[in-house]
Amino acid sequence: MTRTPLRPLARILSARAAGENPDVIERENLAQRHEAMRTRTRGRAEGRLLILGFAFLAAFGLIGMRMGALATATAAEPQLASSGTEILAQRADITDRNGRILATNLMTNSLYVQPKDMVDPARVAAELAQIFPDLDAAALERRFTDGRSFMWVRKVLSPEQQQQVHEIGDPGLLFGPREMRLYPNGRLAAHVLGGASFGAEGVDSAEVIGTAGVEKALDARLRDPAQAGAPLALSIDLTVQAATQEVLEAGMKMMNAKGAAAILMDVHTGEVLSMVSLPDFDPNDRPQPLLTGDPGDSPLFNRAVQGVYELGSTFKIFAVAQAMDLGLVNPETMVDAKAPMYWGKFKINEFEGHNYGPLLSVTEVIVKSSNVGAAHIAMQIGGLRQQAFFKSLGLFDATPVELVEAPGAKPLIPSKWPEIVTITTAYGHGMSDSPMHLAAAYAAIANGGLAVKPTLLRRDAPLQAERIMSETAARAAVSMLRQVVTRGTASLGDVPGYAVGGKTGTADKPKPTGGYYKDKVVNTFASMFPTNDPKYVLIVTLDEPVETSGPKPRRTAGWTAVPVAAEIIRRTAPLLGLRPEIELGAPDGLVAVNN
Amino acid sequence: MSFLEYRIKMVPTGLQKFLHLNWPLILLLTAVAAVGWLMLYSVAGGNIDTWAKPQMQRFGAGLGVMLFIAFVPIWFWRNLSALAYLVAIGLLLVVEFFGHTGMGAQRWINLGFIMLQPSELMKVALIMLLAAYYDWLPGDRTSRPVWVLVPVILILLPTALVLTQPDLGTALLLMLGGGVVMFCAGVSWIYFAVVIGAGIGLVATVMLSRGTTWQLLHDYQFKRIDTFLDPGSDPLGAGYHISQAKIALGSGGWGGKGFMQGTQSRLNFLPEKHTDFIFTTLAEEFGFIGAFSLLTLYALIIGFCVISALQNKDRFSSLLILGVAANFFFYFAVNMSMVMGLAPVVGVPLPLVSYGGSAMLVLLASFGLVQSAHVHRPR
Repeated sequence: MTRTPLRPLARILSARAAGENPDVIERENLAQRHEAMRTRTRGRAEGRLLILGFAFLAAFGLIGMRMGALATATAAEPQLASSGTEILAQRADITDRNGRILATNLMTNSLYVQPKDMVDPARVAAELAQIFPDLDAAALERRFTDGRSFMWVRKVLSPEQQQQVHEIGDPGLLFGPREMRLYPNGRLAAHVLGGASFGAEGVDSAEVIGTAGVEKALDARLRDPAQAGAPLALSIDLTVQAATQEVLEAGMKMMNAKGAAAILMDVHTGEVLSMVSLPDFDPNDRPQPLLTGDPGDSPLFNRAVQGVYELGSTFKIFAVAQAMDLGLVNPETMVDAKAPMYWGKFKINEFEGHNYGPLLSVTEVIVKSSNVGAAHIAMQIGGLRQQAFFKSLGLFDATPVELVEAPGAKPLIPSKWPEIVTITTAYGHGMSDSPMHLAAAYAAIANGGLAVKPTLLRRDAPLQAERIMSETAARAAVSMLRQVVTRGTASLGDVPGYAVGGKTGTADKPKPTGGYYKDKVVNTFASMFPTNDPKYVLIVTLDEPVETSGPKPRRTAGWTAVPVAAEIIRRTAPLLGLRPEIELGAPDGLVAVNN
Repeated sequence: MSFLEYRIKMVPTGLQKFLHLNWPLILLLTAVAAVGWLMLYSVAGGNIDTWAKPQMQRFGAGLGVMLFIAFVPIWFWRNLSALAYLVAIGLLLVVEFFGHTGMGAQRWINLGFIMLQPSELMKVALIMLLAAYYDWLPGDRTSRPVWVLVPVILILLPTALVLTQPDLGTALLLMLGGGVVMFCAGVSWIYFAVVIGAGIGLVATVMLSRGTTWQLLHDYQFKRIDTFLDPGSDPLGAGYHISQAKIALGSGGWGGKGFMQGTQSRLNFLPEKHTDFIFTTLAEEFGFIGAFSLLTLYALIIGFCVISALQNKDRFSSLLILGVAANFFFYFAVNMSMVMGLAPVVGVPLPLVSYGGSAMLVLLASFGLVQSAHVHRPR
């Protein structure tokens, strides 16, 4: 910035020479400088004003344009956006293998009160007690008037109840929306599903948490917001489950059993197609756990998974299959079955005092269910190899099924394994497993020797499983099991067209005081069908059954569990899509000589 | 000594001033107020006594105040600026400790005949003081840091007080109004650039920290910001006002449904239908044409103010006029943007239209200052 001096020397000198006051020049220049400065400020101010004006104009334009846009837009009612539903946190549905709903959610309302807003607590209490007969009017009124500001009355309401409460018309009565878990099939698959209840409860929503079964075991998956839309598909087939349950329930009554369980499993994938435990319950209204007595008597008890019993003769096939696999025997090898057998201080007997003599073929050991024969075979195998085989069948560990109860249901295994244990476990005594263990182990034989991991989730492809015995040995074992039905202890189990094979097992129930009951047994029938190419394994267990149609009460599996299993197969095989096939039996008059 | 005082002789005196008032501005203000009466009449369901009549009376009183202020020479008001500011600060402090709480915020003082909102008063007082400050400050010091710091403190003090009420909307308007006066006074670009840059940087840093390990806010705080910025994401909760207002605007279309025919506001879908959200009623009943006409009226008011400021050679007067105009502008711009979902919902009324006494009174008083500056401008 060039500044003109206020007192330019030349002009001052000339003014002085002219006799004028030189200060005038200074004043003039000062005024000029002020004027210039003011002009500059004004110029800048106007520039700023222009910018401001443009900003205003832009804002006007924006608002005007928005007005136009809104005026031309079609009005839409607001929809609950995704962020709104987030609070409700929908739990994923559970379906069966074909997408049929097993568990879903239902919008309902809770009822709570804010007594401070209540007009007439006495009337409200009386009317509520009328709607909900389990509420006590006097107690309610006392709680309404004791100075609290909030109180839950009901966790869920039916629409009728809500309307009735609404009609009381008191401002202190309030409804809170929430989702509840609904099991539309009621008791069906109750033990699989388990149940759900409310976790953290708010006025506007409540958290639904699983309390048992799949609901609890897979709680995290069901609540995962990322997968809320994707239902969880179980391996259960709803129709098969229904048929199994119906037949088992009838069978349990007919055989006077106090409990029963059934498992139907796909032998290739380990998928459980139906799993029933009786007595059962309605997961919509889950009973309280028993506080006293044996938890095994509660309907909540899942016998199929939690019921760990000595499974008796059903175990004999494991010893035989392993011995065949190891090449120790073949189906025609003769083994010693002379009863009773003595081992140290122990005496091993056959059922009802039979004696099958010193020469019994391996096939006949299974068909006739010889304890002594199985014991001798097991002794050939030896304790270490026997344990390894049991372990590979999964009989030593809790089953991996997706139930919260499963990890707790550990098999009962002797801590030491002397030879007497090798002998007793060969015919299913001295170690306890659940029906689910048995199903997985039989599935491994049925599918030709591949280990099976049972699951309740739908698997779309067979697993890459580890081979635990040769296919030949497995096939031979299956053929023996078939003969148990055609001419052995499970003759009532034959279902024409579906070639059932299987093994019965009857175990005395242990007394809590030690020793065994004489008249309390657990009957098991472990079966597979069709034996020419086994696809399914069915385990039926009856707790304390007694069949009374004969002259004296019968408590063997062949009379109780077997006919029930046969009926289940008769009903479910068509549902499973199996075609009945007439077996090509040996033609008459051409019976093999060595049979 | 202001530039004004050299040229007093040419300024009209006595009743002559009446002729020299900025009449177009008065007419425009009255027109806007009349729109407000119509809407209040309609919102009340055709009842004049509910809201329209008190509003008219208040406007009459406000007009009287405006004329009174207009007749008093502007230099008198300039000399009163500091006092006005101090009084307003005092009232804000009073409200802080003894105030009347309404609608969840403590902002009112009960004067008996009127509920006064000191924050409204503060807006005008702040503009006056800043204008007087820059009138007094020699031009070459405007951008010196020390002399920039003084008005910044003058702005931030009341802003902080208002924020504690809490009233985010008014606090923002205070800052914006003060900022405009500083901007028009010629404070260097650099300061504005730095402040705006720092603001953007801060917001960006906070928002960028989301989801990282050094997250500066809690998740729920981010969520709140989300709904604040985009109420549409929660149409039945925080965004309820907005979605209903948008429906009202959309259903109004171009020509509107006709006077007294709006359903959205009259059927009580809209909260605050007679105050902050009255614009929706207008848009619904008179459509785009009605809404745009109101916007044009507002624009004309701003326009006349700007022209008046340009004509005025007195620095205090022109800064004051611009400040008042900017304040007015922010009022309706923020309100309309908020109603139309362009801006987050902050409680700012539609000036002269929304029902409410103290805001209108203060607004008309501030236009009284504009008139006074106009009448007593140096010629």
